Amino acid sequence: MPRAKFFGWIALLVSLVLGGLFFYYAFYLTGFRDLNLTALSDYSYYALILPIALVALVILGTGFWIGWTILTIKVAPPMPEIVEKKDFAKVKAFLLCLVTLSLSALFIYGIYLRSYWALAVPAAAVTLVVLGMIFWVGVAIITTRATLPEDKKS
Amino acid sequence: MKICLLSYRGNPYCGGQGVYLMYVARELVKLGHEVHAVVGPPYPFPMDGVTLHKIDNHNYFNIKKDYIKPDKPFATLHPLNFYEFAVSKMGIFPEIETFSIRAFQKLRELQKVHRFDIIHDNQCLGYGFLLIKLLGVPFVSTLHHPLSIDRSTWFEYPSDFRLKMKRVLYYPLVMQKIVTNRMDRIITVSRDSVRSINESFGTPVDNQRVVYNGLDASIFRPLKGVNKRKNSLIFVGNVEDRKKGIAYLLRALTLTRNRVHLTVVDGGAPNRNFVPRWIDRFGLNDRITFTGKISTERMVELYSEMEIALSPSLYESFGFPAAEAMACELPVIASTGGALPEVVGEHMKTAYVVPTRNPEAIAEGIDFLIDNPKIRRAMGKAARQRILETFTWENAAREMVKVYEEVIGAYR
Repeated sequence: MPRAKFFGWIALLVSLVLGGLFFYYAFYLTGFRDLNLTALSDYSYYALILPIALVALVILGTGFWIGWTILTIKVAPPMPEIVEKKDFAKVKAFLLCLVTLSLSALFIYGIYLRSYWALAVPAAAVTLVVLGMIFWVGVAIITTRATLPEDKKS
Repeated sequence: MKICLLSYRGNPYCGGQGVYLMYVARELVKLGHEVHAVVGPPYPFPMDGVTLHKIDNHNYFNIKKDYIKPDKPFATLHPLNFYEFAVSKMGIFPEIETFSIRAFQKLRELQKVHRFDIIHDNQCLGYGFLLIKLLGVPFVSTLHHPLSIDRSTWFEYPSDFRLKMKRVLYYPLVMQKIVTNRMDRIITVSRDSVRSINESFGTPVDNQRVVYNGLDASIFRPLKGVNKRKNSLIFVGNVEDRKKGIAYLLRALTLTRNRVHLTVVDGGAPNRNFVPRWIDRFGLNDRITFTGKISTERMVELYSEMEIALSPSLYESFGFPAAEAMACELPVIASTGGALPEVVGEHMKTAYVVPTRNPEAIAEGIDFLIDNPKIRRAMGKAARQRILETFTWENAAREMVKVYEEVIGAYR
Protein backbone atom coordinates (compact mmCIF):
# COMPACT_ATOMS: atom_id res chain seq x y z
CA MET A 1 0.00 0.00 0.00
CA PRO A 2 1.41 3.45 -0.91
CA ARG A 3 2.52 5.55 2.06
CA ALA A 4 -0.07 8.27 1.35
CA LYS A 5 -2.96 5.81 1.35
CA PHE A 6 -1.68 4.29 4.57
CA PHE A 7 -1.80 7.67 6.30
CA GLY A 8 -5.21 8.30 4.75
CA TRP A 9 -6.45 5.16 6.53
CA ILE A 10 -4.80 6.36 9.73
CA ALA A 11 -6.64 9.73 9.52
CA LEU A 12 -9.87 7.90 8.89
CA LEU A 13 -9.41 5.45 11.76
CA VAL A 14 -8.21 8.10 14.22
CA SER A 15 -11.28 10.27 13.52
CA LEU A 16 -13.59 7.26 13.92
CA VAL A 17 -11.94 6.08 17.15
CA LEU A 18 -11.86 9.59 18.68
CA GLY A 19 -15.48 10.15 17.66
CA GLY A 20 -16.46 6.83 19.22
CA LEU A 21 -14.53 7.56 22.43
CA PHE A 22 -16.13 10.99 22.68
CA PHE A 23 -19.60 9.53 22.26
CA TYR A 24 -18.89 6.73 24.75
CA TYR A 25 -17.51 8.94 27.52
CA ALA A 26 -19.69 12.00 26.96
CA PHE A 27 -23.04 10.28 26.48
CA TYR A 28 -23.08 6.47 26.83
CA LEU A 29 -21.23 6.34 30.13
CA THR A 30 -23.54 8.95 31.63
CA GLY A 31 -26.54 6.88 30.60
CA PHE A 32 -27.82 9.79 28.50
CA ARG A 33 -28.87 11.50 31.71
CA ASP A 34 -28.60 15.17 32.51
CA LEU A 35 -25.97 15.53 35.21
CA ASN A 36 -26.02 18.51 37.47
CA LEU A 37 -22.70 20.28 37.57
CA THR A 38 -23.37 22.25 40.74
CA ALA A 39 -20.69 20.21 42.50
CA LEU A 40 -18.10 22.04 40.43
CA SER A 41 -16.73 25.28 41.80
CA ASP A 42 -17.79 28.43 39.96
CA TYR A 43 -14.30 28.88 38.51
CA SER A 44 -14.07 25.27 37.27
CA TYR A 45 -17.52 25.45 35.73
CA TYR A 46 -16.94 28.76 33.93
CA ALA A 47 -13.48 27.67 32.77
CA LEU A 48 -15.26 24.83 30.93
CA ILE A 49 -18.41 26.56 29.81
CA LEU A 50 -17.04 29.92 28.64
CA PRO A 51 -15.07 28.70 25.60
CA ILE A 52 -17.88 26.32 24.70
CA ALA A 53 -20.48 29.06 25.08
CA LEU A 54 -18.40 31.41 22.94
CA VAL A 55 -18.19 28.91 20.07
CA ALA A 56 -21.86 27.91 20.36
CA LEU A 57 -23.08 31.50 20.43
CA VAL A 58 -20.87 32.48 17.48
CA ILE A 59 -22.36 29.60 15.46
CA LEU A 60 -25.93 30.41 16.50
CA GLY A 61 -25.26 34.11 15.96
CA THR A 62 -24.03 33.39 12.43
CA GLY A 63 -27.24 31.48 11.74
CA PHE A 64 -29.30 34.37 13.07
CA TRP A 65 -27.27 36.89 11.04
CA ILE A 66 -27.86 34.90 7.83
CA GLY A 67 -31.60 34.82 8.47
CA TRP A 68 -31.71 38.48 9.48
CA THR A 69 -29.77 39.55 6.37
CA ILE A 70 -32.14 37.68 4.05
CA LEU A 71 -35.10 39.05 5.95
CA THR A 72 -34.06 42.70 5.98
CA ILE A 73 -31.95 43.28 2.86
CA LYS A 74 -33.48 46.06 0.76
CA VAL A 75 -33.14 45.52 -2.97
CA ALA A 76 -35.13 46.32 -6.11
CA PRO A 77 -37.69 43.58 -6.82
CA PRO A 78 -36.81 41.20 -9.68
CA MET A 79 -38.19 41.90 -13.14
CA PRO A 80 -41.55 40.03 -13.22
CA GLU A 81 -40.70 38.43 -16.59
CA ILE A 82 -37.86 36.38 -15.08
CA VAL A 83 -39.61 35.18 -11.94
CA GLU A 84 -40.21 31.44 -12.33
CA LYS A 85 -41.61 30.44 -8.96
CA LYS A 86 -42.71 31.99 -5.69
CA ASP A 87 -39.81 32.73 -3.36
CA PHE A 88 -40.34 31.62 0.25
CA ALA A 89 -36.86 32.70 1.33
CA LYS A 90 -38.14 35.38 3.72
CA VAL A 91 -40.43 32.91 5.51
CA LYS A 92 -37.58 30.44 5.89
CA ALA A 93 -35.25 33.24 7.01
CA PHE A 94 -37.76 34.21 9.69
CA LEU A 95 -37.88 30.58 10.86
CA LEU A 96 -34.08 30.44 10.93
CA CYS A 97 -34.00 33.56 13.12
CA LEU A 98 -36.62 32.06 15.40
CA VAL A 99 -34.84 28.70 15.71
CA THR A 100 -31.41 30.24 16.39
CA LEU A 101 -32.86 32.66 18.93
CA SER A 102 -34.74 29.84 20.69
CA LEU A 103 -31.66 27.62 20.77
CA SER A 104 -29.56 30.48 22.13
CA ALA A 105 -32.13 31.14 24.87
CA LEU A 106 -32.29 27.43 25.68
CA PHE A 107 -28.51 27.22 25.80
CA ILE A 108 -28.18 30.23 28.10
CA TYR A 109 -30.90 28.82 30.35
CA GLY A 110 -29.00 25.50 30.40
CA ILE A 111 -25.85 27.33 31.48
CA TYR A 112 -27.81 29.07 34.21
CA LEU A 113 -29.11 25.70 35.46
CA ARG A 114 -25.62 24.19 35.13
CA SER A 115 -27.05 21.46 32.96
CA TYR A 116 -24.65 18.85 31.61
CA TRP A 117 -26.37 19.04 28.20
CA ALA A 118 -25.46 22.72 27.80
CA LEU A 119 -21.84 21.59 27.99
CA ALA A 120 -22.04 18.29 26.14
CA VAL A 121 -24.21 19.10 23.11
CA PRO A 122 -22.16 22.06 21.75
CA ALA A 123 -18.90 20.23 22.56
CA ALA A 124 -20.19 17.17 20.70
CA ALA A 125 -21.26 19.27 17.68
CA VAL A 126 -17.88 20.99 17.37
CA THR A 127 -15.86 17.81 18.01
CA LEU A 128 -17.85 15.74 15.56
CA VAL A 129 -17.64 18.42 12.84
CA VAL A 130 -13.83 18.62 13.20
CA LEU A 131 -13.46 14.83 13.29
CA GLY A 132 -15.87 14.57 10.36
CA MET A 133 -13.64 16.89 8.35
CA ILE A 134 -10.55 14.80 9.20
CA PHE A 135 -12.50 11.68 8.17
CA TRP A 136 -13.41 13.43 4.90
CA VAL A 137 -9.75 14.29 4.23
CA GLY A 138 -8.79 10.69 5.02
CA VAL A 139 -11.31 9.37 2.49
CA ALA A 140 -10.04 11.88 -0.09
CA ILE A 141 -6.42 10.76 0.47
CA ILE A 142 -7.40 7.11 0.09
CA THR A 143 -9.44 7.65 -3.06
CA THR A 144 -7.18 10.18 -4.79
CA ARG A 145 -5.00 9.07 -7.72
CA ALA A 146 -1.74 7.61 -6.51
CA THR A 147 0.44 8.56 -9.45
CA LEU A 148 2.04 11.92 -10.00
CA PRO A 149 1.27 13.88 -13.15
CA GLU A 150 4.18 13.89 -15.61
CA ASP A 151 5.17 17.52 -14.96
CA LYS A 152 5.46 16.86 -11.22
CA LYS A 153 7.62 13.78 -11.84
CA SER A 154 10.08 15.78 -13.89
CA MET B 1 11.01 53.26 -4.75
CA LYS B 2 10.76 49.57 -3.75
CA ILE B 3 7.15 48.58 -4.28
CA CYS B 4 5.55 45.27 -3.36
CA LEU B 5 2.23 44.54 -5.06
CA LEU B 6 -0.11 41.89 -3.63
CA SER B 7 -2.71 40.04 -5.70
CA TYR B 8 -4.49 36.92 -4.50
CA ARG B 9 -5.02 35.89 -8.13
CA GLY B 10 -2.28 36.94 -10.47
CA ASN B 11 -3.20 35.70 -13.92
CA PRO B 12 -4.73 38.26 -16.31
CA TYR B 13 -7.02 35.60 -17.81
CA CYS B 14 -8.64 34.79 -14.47
CA GLY B 15 -10.26 38.16 -13.96
CA GLY B 16 -9.77 41.83 -13.22
CA GLN B 17 -7.21 41.37 -10.44
CA GLY B 18 -4.64 39.87 -12.83
CA VAL B 19 -5.21 42.54 -15.49
CA TYR B 20 -4.81 45.29 -12.91
CA LEU B 21 -1.61 43.74 -11.54
CA MET B 22 -0.11 43.29 -15.01
CA TYR B 23 -0.64 46.89 -16.15
CA VAL B 24 0.15 48.60 -12.85
CA ALA B 25 3.36 46.58 -12.43
CA ARG B 26 4.42 47.26 -16.03
CA GLU B 27 3.88 51.02 -15.77
CA LEU B 28 5.58 51.30 -12.37
CA VAL B 29 8.64 49.54 -13.81
CA LYS B 30 8.58 51.98 -16.76
CA LEU B 31 8.64 54.84 -14.25
CA GLY B 32 11.88 53.38 -12.85
CA HIS B 33 10.65 51.74 -9.65
CA GLU B 34 11.72 48.34 -8.31
CA VAL B 35 8.57 46.22 -8.39
CA HIS B 36 7.93 42.93 -6.64
CA ALA B 37 4.62 41.06 -6.73
CA VAL B 38 3.39 38.54 -4.17
CA VAL B 39 0.78 36.54 -6.06
CA GLY B 40 -1.60 33.66 -5.57
CA PRO B 41 -2.67 31.15 -8.22
CA PRO B 42 -3.42 31.20 -11.10
CA TYR B 43 -0.06 32.90 -11.41
CA PRO B 44 0.77 35.72 -13.81
CA PHE B 45 3.06 35.27 -16.78
CA PRO B 46 6.62 36.52 -16.23
CA MET B 47 6.75 40.32 -16.53
CA ASP B 48 9.86 42.28 -17.50
CA GLY B 49 11.40 43.96 -14.49
CA VAL B 50 8.95 42.48 -11.98
CA THR B 51 10.12 39.95 -9.38
CA LEU B 52 7.36 37.45 -8.70
CA HIS B 53 6.95 35.72 -5.33
CA LYS B 54 4.40 32.92 -5.59
CA ILE B 55 2.09 31.84 -2.80
CA ASP B 56 0.35 28.49 -3.06
CA ASN B 57 -3.20 27.57 -2.17
CA HIS B 58 -5.34 24.48 -2.61
CA ASN B 59 -8.44 26.16 -4.06
CA TYR B 60 -10.72 23.92 -1.98
CA PHE B 61 -13.64 26.23 -2.65
CA ASN B 62 -13.67 25.64 -6.40
CA ILE B 63 -12.16 22.16 -6.68
CA LYS B 64 -14.87 19.77 -5.54
CA LYS B 65 -12.90 16.54 -6.00
CA ASP B 66 -9.28 15.50 -6.51
CA TYR B 67 -8.18 18.35 -4.25
CA ILE B 68 -5.57 16.12 -2.65
CA LYS B 69 -2.28 16.71 -4.42
CA PRO B 70 -0.53 13.35 -4.97
CA ASP B 71 2.86 14.91 -4.24
CA LYS B 72 1.57 16.53 -1.00
CA PRO B 73 -1.11 14.15 0.32
CA PHE B 74 -1.03 15.49 3.89
CA ALA B 75 -1.03 19.17 3.02
CA THR B 76 -4.77 19.38 3.75
CA LEU B 77 -4.08 18.53 7.39
CA HIS B 78 -1.78 21.56 7.80
CA PRO B 79 -3.70 23.96 10.13
CA LEU B 80 -4.19 26.81 7.62
CA ASN B 81 -5.06 24.41 4.78
CA PHE B 82 -7.40 22.49 7.07
CA TYR B 83 -9.15 25.73 7.99
CA GLU B 84 -9.43 26.59 4.27
CA PHE B 85 -10.82 23.11 3.57
CA ALA B 86 -13.32 23.14 6.45
CA VAL B 87 -14.81 26.58 5.81
CA SER B 88 -14.94 25.92 2.04
CA LYS B 89 -17.14 22.92 2.74
CA MET B 90 -19.42 25.20 4.77
CA GLY B 91 -19.83 27.55 1.79
CA ILE B 92 -17.50 30.31 3.02
CA PHE B 93 -15.01 31.70 0.47
CA PRO B 94 -11.67 31.52 2.30
CA GLU B 95 -9.21 32.32 -0.48
CA ILE B 96 -8.65 35.97 0.31
CA GLU B 97 -8.36 35.41 4.04
CA THR B 98 -5.83 32.59 3.73
CA PHE B 99 -3.92 34.50 1.04
CA SER B 100 -3.57 37.43 3.43
CA ILE B 101 -2.10 35.19 6.14
CA ARG B 102 0.26 33.46 3.73
CA ALA B 103 1.23 36.86 2.30
CA PHE B 104 2.16 37.98 5.83
CA GLN B 105 4.39 34.93 6.24
CA LYS B 106 6.01 35.59 2.86
CA LEU B 107 6.44 39.33 3.47
CA ARG B 108 8.04 38.73 6.85
CA GLU B 109 10.76 36.77 5.03
CA LEU B 110 11.03 39.17 2.08
CA GLN B 111 11.22 42.24 4.28
CA LYS B 112 14.50 40.98 5.79
CA VAL B 113 16.09 41.15 2.35
CA HIS B 114 14.24 43.79 0.36
CA ARG B 115 13.05 46.48 2.82
CA PHE B 116 10.05 47.61 0.77
CA ASP B 117 9.07 51.29 0.78
CA ILE B 118 5.42 50.48 0.29
CA ILE B 119 3.08 47.50 0.01
CA HIS B 120 0.10 47.82 -2.33
CA ASP B 121 -2.68 45.23 -2.22
CA ASN B 122 -5.35 44.75 -4.86
CA GLN B 123 -8.80 44.12 -3.26
CA CYS B 124 -7.83 41.28 -0.93
CA LEU B 125 -8.27 42.90 2.50
CA GLY B 126 -8.00 39.75 4.59
CA TYR B 127 -7.35 39.58 8.32
CA GLY B 128 -3.69 38.73 7.64
CA PHE B 129 -3.23 42.36 6.60
CA LEU B 130 -3.57 43.40 10.22
CA LEU B 131 -0.42 41.34 10.82
CA ILE B 132 1.30 42.87 7.77
CA LYS B 133 0.62 46.30 9.30
CA LEU B 134 2.80 45.23 12.22
CA LEU B 135 5.80 45.07 9.85
CA GLY B 136 5.75 48.88 9.91
CA VAL B 137 5.75 49.32 6.13
CA PRO B 138 3.32 51.84 4.57
CA PHE B 139 0.42 49.76 3.29
CA VAL B 140 -2.30 50.77 0.81
CA SER B 141 -5.01 48.80 -0.91
CA THR B 142 -6.97 49.22 -4.09
CA LEU B 143 -10.64 48.59 -3.42
CA HIS B 144 -12.58 48.62 -6.69
CA HIS B 145 -15.94 48.48 -4.94
CA PRO B 146 -17.37 47.07 -1.72
CA LEU B 147 -18.64 43.50 -2.07
CA SER B 148 -21.90 44.53 -0.42
CA ILE B 149 -22.92 45.77 -3.89
CA ASP B 150 -22.35 42.30 -5.40
CA ARG B 151 -24.49 40.85 -2.64
CA SER B 152 -27.32 43.36 -3.09
CA THR B 153 -27.47 42.99 -6.87
CA TRP B 154 -27.38 39.22 -6.48
CA PHE B 155 -30.41 39.40 -4.19
CA GLU B 156 -32.34 41.33 -6.86
CA TYR B 157 -32.72 38.19 -8.94
CA PRO B 158 -35.08 35.34 -8.18
CA SER B 159 -33.51 32.53 -6.18
CA ASP B 160 -34.35 30.29 -3.25
CA PHE B 161 -33.46 30.29 0.44
CA ARG B 162 -30.56 27.87 0.05
CA LEU B 163 -28.87 30.01 -2.62
CA LYS B 164 -29.44 33.20 -0.65
CA MET B 165 -27.94 31.61 2.44
CA LYS B 166 -24.87 30.59 0.43
CA ARG B 167 -24.50 34.14 -0.87
CA VAL B 168 -24.67 35.68 2.61
CA LEU B 169 -21.90 33.31 3.72
CA TYR B 170 -19.85 33.78 0.56
CA TYR B 171 -19.04 37.49 0.75
CA PRO B 172 -16.49 38.37 3.48
CA LEU B 173 -18.03 41.77 4.17
CA VAL B 174 -17.29 41.98 7.89
CA MET B 175 -13.61 41.16 7.35
CA GLN B 176 -13.23 43.61 4.48
CA LYS B 177 -14.93 46.37 6.46
CA ILE B 178 -12.61 45.85 9.45
CA VAL B 179 -9.45 45.67 7.33
CA THR B 180 -10.37 48.51 4.94
CA ASN B 181 -10.65 50.92 7.83
CA ARG B 182 -7.18 50.01 9.07
CA MET B 183 -5.27 50.56 5.82
CA ASP B 184 -3.03 53.62 5.47
CA ARG B 185 -4.91 54.65 2.36
CA ILE B 186 -7.57 53.19 0.09
CA ILE B 187 -7.06 53.66 -3.63
CA THR B 188 -10.25 53.33 -5.60
CA VAL B 189 -11.12 53.60 -9.26
CA SER B 190 -13.93 56.14 -9.44
CA ARG B 191 -15.65 58.87 -7.48
CA ASP B 192 -18.73 56.68 -7.29
CA SER B 193 -16.66 53.95 -5.62
CA VAL B 194 -15.49 56.47 -3.00
CA ARG B 195 -19.13 57.11 -2.18
CA SER B 196 -20.01 53.39 -2.14
CA ILE B 197 -17.04 52.49 0.10
CA ASN B 198 -17.93 55.32 2.44
CA GLU B 199 -21.56 54.20 2.59
CA SER B 200 -20.88 50.47 2.97
CA PHE B 201 -17.74 50.39 5.11
CA GLY B 202 -17.79 53.83 6.71
CA THR B 203 -14.31 54.55 5.33
CA PRO B 204 -13.76 58.33 5.48
CA VAL B 205 -13.65 60.02 2.08
CA ASP B 206 -10.39 61.72 3.19
CA ASN B 207 -8.70 58.35 3.47
CA GLN B 208 -9.57 57.40 -0.11
CA ARG B 209 -7.87 58.48 -3.34
CA VAL B 210 -9.30 58.04 -6.83
CA VAL B 211 -6.90 56.61 -9.40
CA TYR B 212 -8.79 55.78 -12.59
CA ASN B 213 -7.98 52.51 -14.28
CA GLY B 214 -6.26 52.67 -17.61
CA LEU B 215 -6.80 50.98 -20.90
CA ASP B 216 -4.30 49.80 -23.49
CA ALA B 217 -5.52 51.81 -26.48
CA SER B 218 -2.83 50.27 -28.68
CA ILE B 219 -4.57 46.90 -28.25
CA PHE B 220 -8.16 48.14 -28.13
CA ARG B 221 -8.34 50.16 -31.35
CA PRO B 222 -10.58 50.35 -34.40
CA LEU B 223 -9.43 47.94 -37.12
CA LYS B 224 -9.34 49.21 -40.66
CA GLY B 225 -10.99 47.30 -43.51
CA VAL B 226 -13.40 45.38 -41.27
CA ASN B 227 -17.01 45.46 -42.45
CA LYS B 228 -19.70 46.20 -39.89
CA ARG B 229 -22.48 43.63 -39.51
CA LYS B 230 -25.86 45.27 -39.95
CA ASN B 231 -27.87 45.78 -36.74
CA SER B 232 -25.26 44.03 -34.65
CA LEU B 233 -24.85 44.50 -30.90
CA ILE B 234 -22.18 43.24 -28.53
CA PHE B 235 -22.21 42.57 -24.80
CA VAL B 236 -18.98 41.62 -23.02
CA GLY B 237 -19.11 40.24 -19.50
CA ASN B 238 -20.02 37.36 -17.27
CA VAL B 239 -23.71 36.82 -17.99
CA GLU B 240 -24.25 35.13 -14.62
CA ASP B 241 -22.86 38.13 -12.73
CA ARG B 242 -26.09 39.74 -11.55
CA LYS B 243 -24.46 43.19 -11.58
CA LYS B 244 -24.19 43.11 -15.36
CA GLY B 245 -27.93 43.56 -15.89
CA ILE B 246 -28.23 41.05 -18.72
CA ALA B 247 -31.91 40.32 -17.89
CA TYR B 248 -32.82 43.92 -18.69
CA LEU B 249 -30.87 43.76 -21.95
CA LEU B 250 -32.66 40.56 -23.02
CA ARG B 251 -36.00 42.14 -22.25
CA ALA B 252 -34.96 45.23 -24.27
CA LEU B 253 -34.26 43.04 -27.31
CA THR B 254 -37.94 42.07 -27.36
CA LEU B 255 -38.92 45.76 -27.48
CA THR B 256 -36.78 47.14 -30.34
CA ARG B 257 -38.37 48.16 -33.63
CA ASN B 258 -35.28 47.05 -35.55
CA ARG B 259 -34.49 43.37 -35.63
CA VAL B 260 -31.06 43.27 -33.98
CA HIS B 261 -28.61 40.47 -33.29
CA LEU B 262 -26.63 40.30 -30.05
CA THR B 263 -23.19 38.73 -29.69
CA VAL B 264 -22.32 37.83 -26.11
CA VAL B 265 -18.66 37.43 -25.15
CA ASP B 266 -18.61 35.56 -21.85
CA GLY B 267 -16.73 32.87 -19.98
CA GLY B 268 -18.28 29.93 -21.86
CA ALA B 269 -21.11 27.43 -21.50
CA PRO B 270 -20.22 25.90 -18.11
CA ASN B 271 -20.69 29.33 -16.55
CA ARG B 272 -24.24 29.78 -17.83
CA ASN B 273 -27.20 28.87 -15.71
CA PHE B 274 -30.08 31.35 -15.67
CA VAL B 275 -29.44 33.17 -18.93
CA PRO B 276 -30.30 30.31 -21.37
CA ARG B 277 -33.65 29.95 -19.57
CA TRP B 278 -34.37 33.67 -19.90
CA ILE B 279 -33.44 33.58 -23.60
CA ASP B 280 -35.98 30.76 -24.09
CA ARG B 281 -38.58 32.66 -22.13
CA PHE B 282 -38.10 35.84 -24.22
CA GLY B 283 -38.03 33.83 -27.50
CA LEU B 284 -34.59 35.17 -28.46
CA ASN B 285 -32.83 31.94 -29.42
CA ASP B 286 -32.18 32.94 -33.04
CA ARG B 287 -31.01 36.46 -32.15
CA ILE B 288 -28.18 35.78 -29.72
CA THR B 289 -24.76 34.21 -30.29
CA PHE B 290 -22.44 33.24 -27.46
CA THR B 291 -18.75 33.24 -28.32
CA GLY B 292 -17.46 31.73 -25.08
CA LYS B 293 -13.90 32.60 -24.12
CA ILE B 294 -12.02 34.30 -26.95
CA SER B 295 -8.61 35.93 -27.36
CA THR B 296 -8.17 39.67 -26.95
CA GLU B 297 -7.33 39.90 -30.68
CA ARG B 298 -10.64 38.25 -31.59
CA MET B 299 -12.47 40.54 -29.19
CA VAL B 300 -10.97 43.61 -30.87
CA GLU B 301 -12.04 42.18 -34.26
CA LEU B 302 -15.55 41.65 -32.92
CA TYR B 303 -15.74 45.22 -31.62
CA SER B 304 -14.82 46.40 -35.12
CA GLU B 305 -17.50 44.20 -36.70
CA MET B 306 -20.29 45.42 -34.40
CA GLU B 307 -22.37 48.58 -34.58
CA ILE B 308 -23.25 49.12 -30.90
CA ALA B 309 -21.87 47.92 -27.56
CA LEU B 310 -24.08 47.53 -24.52
CA SER B 311 -23.26 47.92 -20.87
CA PRO B 312 -26.59 47.78 -18.98
CA SER B 313 -24.94 47.09 -15.59
CA LEU B 314 -26.73 47.68 -12.33
CA TYR B 315 -23.35 48.61 -10.89
CA GLU B 316 -19.78 49.01 -12.18
CA SER B 317 -16.90 50.35 -10.14
CA PHE B 318 -15.24 51.26 -13.45
CA GLY B 319 -16.62 49.29 -16.41
CA PHE B 320 -13.77 47.86 -18.50
CA PRO B 321 -16.01 46.42 -21.26
CA ALA B 322 -17.57 49.84 -21.91
CA ALA B 323 -14.15 51.51 -21.97
CA GLU B 324 -12.72 48.83 -24.30
CA ALA B 325 -15.60 49.25 -26.72
CA MET B 326 -15.14 53.02 -26.62
CA ALA B 327 -11.43 52.64 -27.38
CA CYS B 328 -12.47 50.64 -30.46
CA GLU B 329 -14.62 53.59 -31.63
CA LEU B 330 -17.82 51.74 -30.86
CA PRO B 331 -20.78 53.75 -29.55
CA VAL B 332 -21.83 52.42 -26.17
CA ILE B 333 -25.27 52.30 -24.61
CA ALA B 334 -24.40 52.41 -20.94
CA SER B 335 -26.55 52.54 -17.85
CA THR B 336 -26.08 54.97 -14.99
CA GLY B 337 -25.01 52.08 -12.75
CA GLY B 338 -22.13 53.00 -10.43
CA ALA B 339 -19.19 54.68 -12.16
CA LEU B 340 -20.32 54.03 -15.74
CA PRO B 341 -21.36 57.67 -16.34
CA GLU B 342 -17.90 58.77 -15.10
CA VAL B 343 -16.23 56.47 -17.59
CA VAL B 344 -18.44 56.81 -20.66
CA GLY B 345 -18.88 60.57 -20.35
CA GLU B 346 -21.60 62.81 -21.66
CA HIS B 347 -24.92 61.47 -22.94
CA MET B 348 -25.27 61.77 -26.75
CA LYS B 349 -21.66 62.94 -27.08
CA THR B 350 -19.39 60.09 -26.05
CA ALA B 351 -22.09 57.53 -25.18
CA TYR B 352 -25.83 56.93 -24.99
CA VAL B 353 -26.67 56.86 -21.30
CA VAL B 354 -29.82 55.17 -19.96
CA PRO B 355 -31.19 54.66 -16.44
CA THR B 356 -30.48 51.31 -14.77
CA ARG B 357 -33.13 48.56 -14.81
CA ASN B 358 -34.91 50.16 -17.75
CA PRO B 359 -35.38 47.85 -20.76
CA GLU B 360 -37.58 50.41 -22.57
CA ALA B 361 -34.80 53.02 -22.46
CA ILE B 362 -32.22 50.48 -23.68
CA ALA B 363 -34.51 49.51 -26.59
CA GLU B 364 -35.05 53.18 -27.43
CA GLY B 365 -31.28 53.74 -27.44
CA ILE B 366 -30.68 50.76 -29.72
CA ASP B 367 -33.30 51.95 -32.21
CA PHE B 368 -31.98 55.52 -32.10
CA LEU B 369 -28.40 54.52 -32.84
CA ILE B 370 -29.40 51.97 -35.50
CA ASP B 371 -31.50 54.64 -37.25
CA ASN B 372 -28.75 57.30 -37.06
CA PRO B 373 -25.48 55.95 -38.48
CA LYS B 374 -23.83 59.40 -38.60
CA ILE B 375 -24.41 60.03 -34.90
CA ARG B 376 -23.21 56.50 -34.21
CA ARG B 377 -19.92 57.08 -36.00
CA ALA B 378 -19.35 60.50 -34.42
CA MET B 379 -20.10 59.07 -30.98
CA GLY B 380 -17.59 56.25 -31.56
CA LYS B 381 -14.83 58.67 -32.51
CA ALA B 382 -15.54 60.95 -29.53
CA ALA B 383 -15.55 57.89 -27.28
CA ARG B 384 -12.06 56.81 -28.34
CA GLN B 385 -10.79 60.35 -27.90
CA ARG B 386 -12.13 60.37 -24.33
CA ILE B 387 -10.35 57.12 -23.51
CA LEU B 388 -7.05 58.35 -24.97
CA GLU B 389 -7.24 61.56 -22.97
CA THR B 390 -8.41 60.22 -19.61
CA PHE B 391 -7.86 56.52 -19.11
CA THR B 392 -4.28 55.36 -19.67
CA TRP B 393 -2.24 53.06 -17.45
CA GLU B 394 0.59 55.56 -17.58
CA ASN B 395 -1.64 58.19 -15.95
CA ALA B 396 -2.82 55.57 -13.46
CA ALA B 397 0.75 54.68 -12.43
CA ARG B 398 1.76 58.34 -12.03
CA GLU B 399 -1.26 59.02 -9.83
CA MET B 400 -0.52 55.91 -7.83
CA VAL B 401 3.06 57.03 -7.17
CA LYS B 402 1.68 60.32 -5.82
CA VAL B 403 -0.46 58.35 -3.36
CA TYR B 404 2.56 56.22 -2.36
CA GLU B 405 4.64 59.35 -1.72
CA GLU B 406 1.86 60.87 0.36
CA VAL B 407 1.57 57.74 2.52
CA ILE B 408 5.33 57.25 2.87
CA GLY B 409 5.62 60.94 3.80
CA ALA B 410 3.13 60.46 6.61
CA TYR B 411 5.32 57.64 8.03
CA ARG B 412 8.42 59.83 8.23
